[in-house]
Amino acid sequence: MMNISRRSPLFLLLLSSSSSGSCCGLQSGSRRLISGMKVFDRRMKRRQRSWSARQEDTELYDYLRDEVGSRLADRVHDVARTFPLALDVGGGKNHITQHLSKDVVERLFLTDVSEETLKRRRRGEIATHCVVADEEFLPFKENTFDLVVSSLSLHWTNDLPAALTQIQQVLKPDGVFIGAMVGGDSLYELRCSLQLAETEREGGFSPHVSPYTAVTDLGNLLSHAGFNMLTVDVDDVQVHYPGIFEVMMDLQGMAESNCAWNRRALLHRDTMLAAAAVYKEMYGNDDGSVPATFQILYMIGWKPHESQAKPAKRGSASTSFADLSKINKPIRKDDADL
Amino acid sequence: MSGSNVWTRTREKLRLFPEIFAQCGSEAAAYGKCVSATTTGGQELKKDLCAKEFQALKTCFTNAAKKRAK
Repeated sequence: MMNISRRSPLFLLLLSSSSSGSCCGLQSGSRRLISGMKVFDRRMKRRQRSWSARQEDTELYDYLRDEVGSRLADRVHDVARTFPLALDVGGGKNHITQHLSKDVVERLFLTDVSEETLKRRRRGEIATHCVVADEEFLPFKENTFDLVVSSLSLHWTNDLPAALTQIQQVLKPDGVFIGAMVGGDSLYELRCSLQLAETEREGGFSPHVSPYTAVTDLGNLLSHAGFNMLTVDVDDVQVHYPGIFEVMMDLQGMAESNCAWNRRALLHRDTMLAAAAVYKEMYGNDDGSVPATFQILYMIGWKPHESQAKPAKRGSASTSFADLSKINKPIRKDDADL
Repeated sequence: MSGSNVWTRTREKLRLFPEIFAQCGSEAAAYGKCVSATTTGGQELKKDLCAKEFQALKTCFTNAAKKRAK
């Protein structure tokens, strides 16, 4: 699979159906960090988001974004600071800052690639300016923002290192980036079911679930982008659905459909039937429902500033580890003045 | 795209999928077991390895669809 993605998309459509595959595990793993490489069709992603926003029942599909948005807002609250100017990258319908108050963030810039989504945003207390902008081409000057947040949109960027670098640049020194993206083993049930079904029915398989960043790579990516004092943690959100069809319908409603260049244009009915059977058998719950796992990676990174704690210089230690053994002994009389 | 065209008709048919699929539980389970047996280190999964089970599932599915359409 490693060389296939360097070829042109049309060639891949013809080639992928004849490749043979071994079982699950090929799709996940770290994303290729080659700059200039187009994994995703950004125009398609914009069209998918606009389509999703225009649906009448679009609210029904917001549950995942709302959940992650509220957890991100908690993390913003945990930082004991007020942020005069904040930026929400790929903010969509304003899932994060609807939970924040004017005391925490004074002014907000909300960006997304899709204008339709921005039009249907939730209203909160904070004065918001909407900007239609791509995550990789932020139209802001350096050292502008005190806070940048991003929820569930960075996993569709073509060049994640560049996007993180841009975020780092638009931050002021001592500014913070708090983000969440889908990563790791998300949707492994769907990926494996489709892979097995396609192999059995058609003799080969092509990727249906996009490549995700592994949590171990995220720390490296953030420090290469120039962030300090990193915090990365993983949260699993497991949603139960009646079946594979509902999983795919909800993903489409959430504007999370595949938009990778190497995606296959169609899914055979037989393969879909086979995948439904495999999903239910391999991952089904006792009550007949099937789970879909979203592994959300949360990251916090600070732009360097002199006031931040730095590692101490070598040789500056004033106590030794050998003193640990003296902790249990009573303090001498001349030290008692504490 | 407004009105009835091949895409709207196909989507409507597709929406019935879960309901019809629910009626073929045992065939689906048999096919699923056959495929998932390959993941536990038995045979390697090849094309049409579980063709018999899949045919049973497909027949059940088409019959249920026909009954539903009546």
